[in-house]
Amino acid sequence: MSTTDALFERFKANLEAINGECSVAAKADAGKAVADIFRAKGLSTACVVESDFVKELGIVPALKDAGLEVFTDHIRLHAETAQGGVCEVQLGVADLGTVAQVGDEIDSRIVATMAEDFLGILKASTIVDDYDALFDAICALPEMPNFVGFVSGPSRTADIECVSTVGVHGPLRLNIVIIADA
Amino acid sequence: MASLELKQEIQEALKNTTLSRTLGNFCATYPAKRAKSYVGVDFEATRDEIREVKGYAAEHIDEMIEKFTENCTAKGGHVFHAKSTEEAMEYIRGLVKEKGVKTIVKSKSMASEEIHMNKVLGEDGVLVQETDLGEFIIALEGNTPVHMVMPALHLNKEQVADYFTEYTKTKNEPIIAEEVKTARRIMRDKFIHADMGVSGANVAVAETGTVFTMSNEGNGRMVGTLPKIHLYVFGIEKFVNKLTDARWIFKALPRNGTGQRITSYISMYTGASEVTVDKETDEKAKKEFYAVILDDPGRRAILADPDFQEIFDCIRCGACLDVCPAFALVGGHVYGSKVYTGGIGTLLTHFLVSEERADEIQNICLQCGRCKEVCGGGLHIPEMIMKLRERSYEANPNPVYKFALDAVSDRKLFHSMLRIASVAQAPFTKGTNFIRHLPMFLSGMTEGRSLMSIAPVPFRDIFPTIQQNVENPKGKIAIFTGCLLDFAYIDIAKAVIADLNSIGYVVDMPMGQSCCGAPATYMGDRENARKTAELNIEAMQADKYDYVVSACPTCTHQLREYKQFFEEGSEMYRKAEELGSKTFDFCKLFYDLGGLAEAGDDTPLTITYHDSCHLKRELGVFKEQRELLTKTNGISLVEMEESDVCCGFGGTYSIKLPEVAAPILAKKLQHIQDTGASVVAVDCPGCLMQIRGGMDAHDLPIEVKHTAVILAEKRGLI
Repeated sequence: MSTTDALFERFKANLEAINGECSVAAKADAGKAVADIFRAKGLSTACVVESDFVKELGIVPALKDAGLEVFTDHIRLHAETAQGGVCEVQLGVADLGTVAQVGDEIDSRIVATMAEDFLGILKASTIVDDYDALFDAICALPEMPNFVGFVSGPSRTADIECVSTVGVHGPLRLNIVIIADA
Repeated sequence: MASLELKQEIQEALKNTTLSRTLGNFCATYPAKRAKSYVGVDFEATRDEIREVKGYAAEHIDEMIEKFTENCTAKGGHVFHAKSTEEAMEYIRGLVKEKGVKTIVKSKSMASEEIHMNKVLGEDGVLVQETDLGEFIIALEGNTPVHMVMPALHLNKEQVADYFTEYTKTKNEPIIAEEVKTARRIMRDKFIHADMGVSGANVAVAETGTVFTMSNEGNGRMVGTLPKIHLYVFGIEKFVNKLTDARWIFKALPRNGTGQRITSYISMYTGASEVTVDKETDEKAKKEFYAVILDDPGRRAILADPDFQEIFDCIRCGACLDVCPAFALVGGHVYGSKVYTGGIGTLLTHFLVSEERADEIQNICLQCGRCKEVCGGGLHIPEMIMKLRERSYEANPNPVYKFALDAVSDRKLFHSMLRIASVAQAPFTKGTNFIRHLPMFLSGMTEGRSLMSIAPVPFRDIFPTIQQNVENPKGKIAIFTGCLLDFAYIDIAKAVIADLNSIGYVVDMPMGQSCCGAPATYMGDRENARKTAELNIEAMQADKYDYVVSACPTCTHQLREYKQFFEEGSEMYRKAEELGSKTFDFCKLFYDLGGLAEAGDDTPLTITYHDSCHLKRELGVFKEQRELLTKTNGISLVEMEESDVCCGFGGTYSIKLPEVAAPILAKKLQHIQDTGASVVAVDCPGCLMQIRGGMDAHDLPIEVKHTAVILAEKRGLI
């Protein structure tokens, strides 16, 4: 197994350990991979925040081809009813299965928080080894952005009788698609 | 003294079966979960870093406030530095009014509880919605948090379903997964329509003006993502200087709090981030971002007090609650401050909420020291609670205790009383070694356990008759018997001598010795503790002996700490230091002086071992006695569950709060029984008294013996 594959595998295993899902796709197959995931879950609507990279992957057309109604603007409005949410995430942590959202742009924060099914697009080259490397990366930013958020799996609670339950106010399910050649 | 009201509150808490089940289960599984989450992470090194970064911030607090204000403002935030809880609340009240806020969604903020935000804004007609599931449930119940991290542990799913049914006006089934969905549905609407979000900070970073919030449910992110106005309320203790400093706190906080390596969300807000201001037009703008820094006199009092300053190192993980044997039984409501609970809660209550309440609830602390082992900030919680106790006692000495402790510190009077008691106890011992029932108001002392009886002849009268045949002695050791070996457990003292003789040491008993002073110390009576220290330092004449041995870890610890009562550089300090440096607990000394040699009668004996709080946590001795026992032929050692959790004796604790001590003992007895051992070994006569008394009261056939006795018996020395 190559070093990169080992990193993916660690990321995947650690994300699955906290009830997340993870898959790997090449750039050319990313649109189809995302569409397959949402279709398998039976979703019919999704909000997609189209960063340049998300555009390049052709995720929106792939989702539309799969029959989903896709919103790329008025995200705050549509996120109230759309089932899925897609955006790019900026960093991943192999040791934890954590992703980081770095930046002030609100729509990505909305889809990652409001959707029942959140799907994050993660460039393989942005996966760091562990928590300290993640913190180092944030501290090395030339200026602290207005928002930085670490997301580790779907939302969860144990507030009733200490029984662990996945899916509370944030996403019920979280899926990270690693783009292997990016 | 614990008041009648506190005792009643404790009784009520003990009756709550849901609380005992959920909290009991959580606390029982917590240590293993926590340990698993720390695999690959050096906890001690992490908390050293936490102490350093938080300590730095505490020492430079004005600079932290100034830098945070400057940096947050530069990023579009508004910062209000509140010098009192009232000032903070008035500012928030004005802000809410000025902005026309009608509904607020709030993620967890303990500082906002301190300023009674929900109540005050509620009176102004503003709806303040708690969004954390546990907080929402207790708000529906009209109660306060039972735990800092899991606030609704005292309610079961049926009760939650009833509250949800009442709130939603539709039938809710007592199915947890469904209840969580209901909470999501209710809150989603609130998040979407709220005018303002309110958050509490886990950490605030001075050099960037960043505030951190950690959560699992996602409500914290909703609060920070959707409303156009975002308000943070946090105390000055949340500061660190640099962004990188925060990493240490988030390494320990989730692991210590819930046994997670990381929580679902950690969010960092630096000034005014973007928000959608009009969802119909998709117009976006910078949100209105406010930070209220709570810098009230209570917090300043903590900083100004060298005995308590380290409270600022607390990261609010709640680990001190989760390992506390008393908290595991009674939960947080009996702490009564409505905000902070448990060990750290007792300290925070004193400074931030009510000194009177803190005086009361400090009684709940067993002084077992378990919280110190796991504290994310490395706080010396038991020592600080002792300081509170001392100050409380000084300000308001209990006349009954004062009388008793004055008597104990007068050796001749105390020993005369014990000799009289050995005769007067006859109606209660009924010819046995136990007092099983005491009349009227003393009845609580025999709750769940029998008391030991006082020996007819004290050890000090027997000692001169003991033959010590030691050829070519290697040295001379003074025995410090403490009250229990002198007046109750004569056999332990005899065994200690036989054991030490067997490895070539002669033992002497200085007769001027008296009680070690621990009872006075633990009751907060420093003056009597000092008087006793003086008496024993003179009596023990440490300069004449190679070592001083005690078979009671509490006495050992007390003797080793005597120097704290005297001025550094004084003659008494020097003598105290000498005595302290020569004093060891039996098993440590016996082990170090060569007691490990394999010996034993080869007769099979299965024993289990109970660690004394003082021996393990204060003196750091837990391997030596196990090795001594297992190297004795015939003995097999079976470890019990939670071997190092307090037995409930806690010195005078079992007399002050038998309501709590009795169930702690019951759990210990169960763990012992579960091992199938026929003997439980202990190294503390207090634990021995407590556990043996429990075995007798419950008619259990398991013997409780001191390690010194087991070794002497199995090696044919007595």
